[in-house]
Amino acid sequence: MNSSSAEGKRRQRFDSLVTVFHQDMYRFAAWLSRDKAIAEDVVQEALLRAWRSLDSLRDDAAAKHWLLTIVRRENARYFERRRLETVDIDNLTASQAALLAETRNEEIDDLREAIFGLDDDYREPLVLQVLMGYSTGEIAEMMGLKQGAVLTRLHRARLKLMDSVAHE
Amino acid sequence: MTSEQDKKFQALDLKIAKALQIDVPELRMPELPDIAETNVRRLPARKRSMIPVWFALAATVVLATSISLRNSSLFQSYDSLAEEVLAHLDHEPDALRITDVAVSDEQFAHAVPASLVTFDRGTSLITYAQACIINGHSVPHLVIQGQYGPVTILLMSEEHVSEATPIDGVSVKGVILPVGKGSIAIIGDRQEQLEPIQENVVNSVVWTT
Repeated sequence: MNSSSAEGKRRQRFDSLVTVFHQDMYRFAAWLSRDKAIAEDVVQEALLRAWRSLDSLRDDAAAKHWLLTIVRRENARYFERRRLETVDIDNLTASQAALLAETRNEEIDDLREAIFGLDDDYREPLVLQVLMGYSTGEIAEMMGLKQGAVLTRLHRARLKLMDSVAHE
Repeated sequence: MTSEQDKKFQALDLKIAKALQIDVPELRMPELPDIAETNVRRLPARKRSMIPVWFALAATVVLATSISLRNSSLFQSYDSLAEEVLAHLDHEPDALRITDVAVSDEQFAHAVPASLVTFDRGTSLITYAQACIINGHSVPHLVIQGQYGPVTILLMSEEHVSEATPIDGVSVKGVILPVGKGSIAIIGDRQEQLEPIQENVVNSVVWTT
């Protein structure tokens, strides 16, 4: 196989993986950063990094986990590099507020705001479980936690959300 | 958890899933670098020899010395990079201690010069860091603690491999992964699950040369 044909196949493989998982990457980045503009930057960086290390992904069945792990790392890098403070709930920027854009369903809007207000420690496992479909074991591995800790965080996150929504 | 609470949580999860489904902007693909091109190392053009006789004689002496050194164990040559990597582990048994003491920032900075590579050390507990020579190049040699003992990581910015190359030792296993223009060797106990470590390591490395 000549190099241009190998490069073409590599690009084709990358494009098809990104097409499938781009939405997950963006939503994960957006809920991690709570900022639509930052989420776009993080996804761009993650795509570049994924492209460079594509050869280390030997099984495409593991691509979602691989890409989301890259997004998670890039999000951490982004905040580390810029030494950004966590979100000030009472003083949101335009791109942070954009995440809370209203839908036609008031209940969903309230819940979205409550999720936005959760601490990172509670919000991340919740997004990974409910939106990405990960098991608590997989979340524990991804976040470097014990499975029990993940279960506790998920339980507390749900209780907080129920409480928030009940008080709306 | 009571079944009543269970039902409430299930109903809540449906709503959470809806709330999390935010609109996604159209995919904007970044400009992707040509990987094949960056892997090609161009040799400088040859020039006609202008070496004086005295220099040629001195070079002969140096060559003879180097041959005798190569025959010693210090400069032993190996058939493959994987073999050299395995042999290197035997040369540094101190690296394979089971410990929970992280290397100091100074030691880490010395072993992993920013001029060669940056490595995000926040991902794992690094218990050993040394600059070593592999195949004639300076290579950061790191050790992190895996579930079944120490896991060795060699950041080989000068060694390109075209595909993932398995490493198979007596009590260890591992792989040399192509990463950009260089490669990374990751070796651990035969029972160790290396895949998640590989992902973490590859995502933590940026070549700077």
